[in-house]
Amino acid sequence: MNRALRRISIAVLVMFVLLLINVNYLQGFETASLASEPGNSRAFYAAQNQYERGSIITSDNVTIAASKPSAGANDSIKYQRYYPYGPEYAPVTGYDTLYSQTGIEAAENGLLSGNDSSLDVRKFIDLITGKSTKGATVQVTINSKAQAAAYNALAAGGKPGAVVAIDPSTGKILAMASYPSYNPGVLATHDGKQLVTVDNQLLADKSQPLLNRALEGTYPPGSTFKIVTSSAFLTQNPGTTINTNVASPTQLTLPQTTNVLTNNDGESCVNGTGQAQLIMAFAQSCNTTFGKIGEDVGASALDAMATNFGMNNPNLTIPLAVAQSNYLIPPSLALTAYSAIGQYNDTVTPLQEAMFSAAIANGGTLMKPYLVQQVTASDLSTVTSTTPSVLHQPVSSTVAAEVGKMMLAVVQDPTGTGYQFNASVEGVQIAGKTGTAETGVGNSGLDDAAFTCFAPYANPKIAVGVIIQGGGYGAAAAAPIAVQVIKAYLGNQ
Amino acid sequence: MSSITAPTPAVDPDNPLMPGGRSRRRTELIMLVFAFALVLFAFANVGFSLKGTLPSGTAEYLGAFIVIVLVAHLAMRRFAPWADPLLLPLAALLNGLGIVMMYRLGAQVNPATGNPEVSASATGIQILFSAIGIGCFVAVLALVREPRVLQRYTYTLGAIGILLLALPALLPGSISEVNGAKIQIAFGSLITVQPEEFAKLALAISFAGYLVAKRDVLALAGRRVLGIDLPRARDLGPIVLVWAVSLLLLVFESDIGTSAVFMGLFVAMLYIATSRTSWLLLGFIMFVVGAFAASKLVGHVGERFDIWLHPFVGSNPENNAFQLVQGLYGMASGGLLGKGLGGGQPYITPLVQSDLVISAFGEELGLAGLMAILLIYGLIVQRGLRTAMLVKDPFSKLLAGGLSFMLALQVFVIVGGVTRLIPLTGITTPFLSQGGSSLVGSWILIALLARLSDTARRPPPRSIQEEGLTQVVTLK
Repeated sequence: MNRALRRISIAVLVMFVLLLINVNYLQGFETASLASEPGNSRAFYAAQNQYERGSIITSDNVTIAASKPSAGANDSIKYQRYYPYGPEYAPVTGYDTLYSQTGIEAAENGLLSGNDSSLDVRKFIDLITGKSTKGATVQVTINSKAQAAAYNALAAGGKPGAVVAIDPSTGKILAMASYPSYNPGVLATHDGKQLVTVDNQLLADKSQPLLNRALEGTYPPGSTFKIVTSSAFLTQNPGTTINTNVASPTQLTLPQTTNVLTNNDGESCVNGTGQAQLIMAFAQSCNTTFGKIGEDVGASALDAMATNFGMNNPNLTIPLAVAQSNYLIPPSLALTAYSAIGQYNDTVTPLQEAMFSAAIANGGTLMKPYLVQQVTASDLSTVTSTTPSVLHQPVSSTVAAEVGKMMLAVVQDPTGTGYQFNASVEGVQIAGKTGTAETGVGNSGLDDAAFTCFAPYANPKIAVGVIIQGGGYGAAAAAPIAVQVIKAYLGNQ
Repeated sequence: MSSITAPTPAVDPDNPLMPGGRSRRRTELIMLVFAFALVLFAFANVGFSLKGTLPSGTAEYLGAFIVIVLVAHLAMRRFAPWADPLLLPLAALLNGLGIVMMYRLGAQVNPATGNPEVSASATGIQILFSAIGIGCFVAVLALVREPRVLQRYTYTLGAIGILLLALPALLPGSISEVNGAKIQIAFGSLITVQPEEFAKLALAISFAGYLVAKRDVLALAGRRVLGIDLPRARDLGPIVLVWAVSLLLLVFESDIGTSAVFMGLFVAMLYIATSRTSWLLLGFIMFVVGAFAASKLVGHVGERFDIWLHPFVGSNPENNAFQLVQGLYGMASGGLLGKGLGGGQPYITPLVQSDLVISAFGEELGLAGLMAILLIYGLIVQRGLRTAMLVKDPFSKLLAGGLSFMLALQVFVIVGGVTRLIPLTGITTPFLSQGGSSLVGSWILIALLARLSDTARRPPPRSIQEEGLTQVVTLK
């Protein structure tokens, strides 16, 4: 029997050796491939919670997202994420939940969580010196005063919409607010059940609080698109100036149709002579004038100009992904006239609205908008910092200056559509363009109000784009919000 | 002090396996202190990792654990003084680690559910079952003073074993079903017993008794075909019966793991008894054919194979293979040195407290810890097999070999399953899994091995006649 027992012992030995080899393979060699399996939530957790997550701060060093030790005694996750300003900065920070992230939390996740390979050397030094490793701090370009003004103005208006402010000379995003918003703090809970409940509530909310309208919402630009149309016209006709007389009929019969394009209330434009200076037609936002100009310059020129202003770009990231603003070449000349005044299928994001003015303000050069100023490791050394870059040059500086003058007239000329709040700006010259876009089938919905502007006129420091859904008349609903952002930002300078 | 008279050597030079006259109970006690220290460190590790302090109740839990294990040690001194000194410390260490893991799982909330994977009372219950298990351990040592006594109950224990195995299949699913397998008997909602844990032991004893009686005929009679000694058809009865029962287990209880352990146990004992390879081949072929047929007939079994072969394919990771895959992720995240007790996320894996407890150890103690645990099991098996070699009487030999092999097979089936060496089947991990039946059954197994090793290592009574002739001088 001992011979058989010896053989059984060898069989047992083989069984244990097989187990040992297998666990060595599993835990020694297969760890990386298992960690990269898509459904491996442990790897996700580990990456998220290995180190204290870095903070997100504004350009003026206001903390808008940070981590603190978890309060719950049984909490399996060491750090609790919190957002001191809640909904105000939600479009910027996004959220960081047990399972996923959005916004800067997602775009800079590797650096915030401390797992990005660019932090490896610093982590190694931390390991040697015995310091606890922290994720990197991300500084965004947002100015806290401008952001507060933007969000508070939106919230005071109570209508869904968004505001984006850009520094025209660099492309820094100074404010980015969306309303209604949500508090990312409630999504930072470590209680999975509660998270699902809150998440479902937010998803079911008809007012779409999770939607970052500033980057993801697209709306008809309405008359603000006349900046593009004018730019195309002035570029195509080098001899013309803003004082050139252009056709300005009371009614424009659209080619190949019996449809008639009219001005806002069917009124005659400027003085009813059928001719008007371009600047006056722009200031009073004559649809007939710009419909005709659109027919004359043609859809492909409008398309090229719109693209140069940043539209039709599916890949724009700041580093958050930005929805594509569309100028679709219309199938007929009649629809081209509509597209020239920001109707037909034109859609823009609030960011794009700000980019229209930013390009004009910066002498025709459109800087690439960006949100992340710099990333600082826990040892205060800079990991990355963003240098401004040119996105496009839609117009020459001459044309930009001309369009700028026209935008100033919108606000300063007594007949301009934005004149009504000129007095409220207290010494700051604002140049802008209002837009009131018809929405819904047969113009049944409330108009979307749009406004794009820059200030100060002589030395532009800020360009603002505002879109208010169902806001009605652009000058009334959107422009005052832009003025408040400008005042907050310039008053802070 | 030197002496011209040669002392009795500590080890008989003619039989190096035969130890001399030292009971080694003090070695056992020292080894137990190591086991206690390891369990204390593990406990403290959990507490400091999860809460930054020693866990509340450390003194009570650890004190109770130490007391019951010391009771076992005293029982060894009293009833089995010559037993192998490693069996008790190794088993106690595993038992203690299991208690620590219950504490660890109960002390941390799974964020997805808002609750810990086991209730906070699981630690206390596991200690209570350890006490019951050690009570049975002491009872077996006290009642079974000579292993051969068990041979008398060959058929009684066989009948009890088969009845215990069959009981869950006969009972309605509401009483016996758990996670798709009919393997338990529920007395109300609180107490459930898994009869297979005891059936295995009864059957191991029964097989040993039967095979000792029949081994000559099973070993010698038969014809030689193609170099293999085939048994006579009339001698095939028992193996066919066992095969049939194991297949019924498969089909009616969907319990492929126990079925494999059961069949493997019988075939191994048959081989030890007869030394005939043909029995091994026959048993192996019968099991594979039966399992294959069952996998075609019973969806549960076929699914197990699919999970094993394609855990990451299609919807498997989120559905059928979720448990296996999460266990693998856990062990992978542990890597070489583990996340440390309390540092991982074992709660993500379903049933981590029972079938997949080894993945929790892999995750938190890493490859190093998992290998150590496997080596502890290996050592227990090795001590058992060594006992089988040492012991003289064939029944004891068979029983020791069978029990040791069964333990090895059980570890192989569950650890191999969890680490995806073989298809995962739900059986308990001896000493580590949550659950009283398994713990009590494992302690009875250790008691039987201790009794057998006590018999094996007990020095033969000194002949009075020789005493007058040889002067025995013990140094020191």
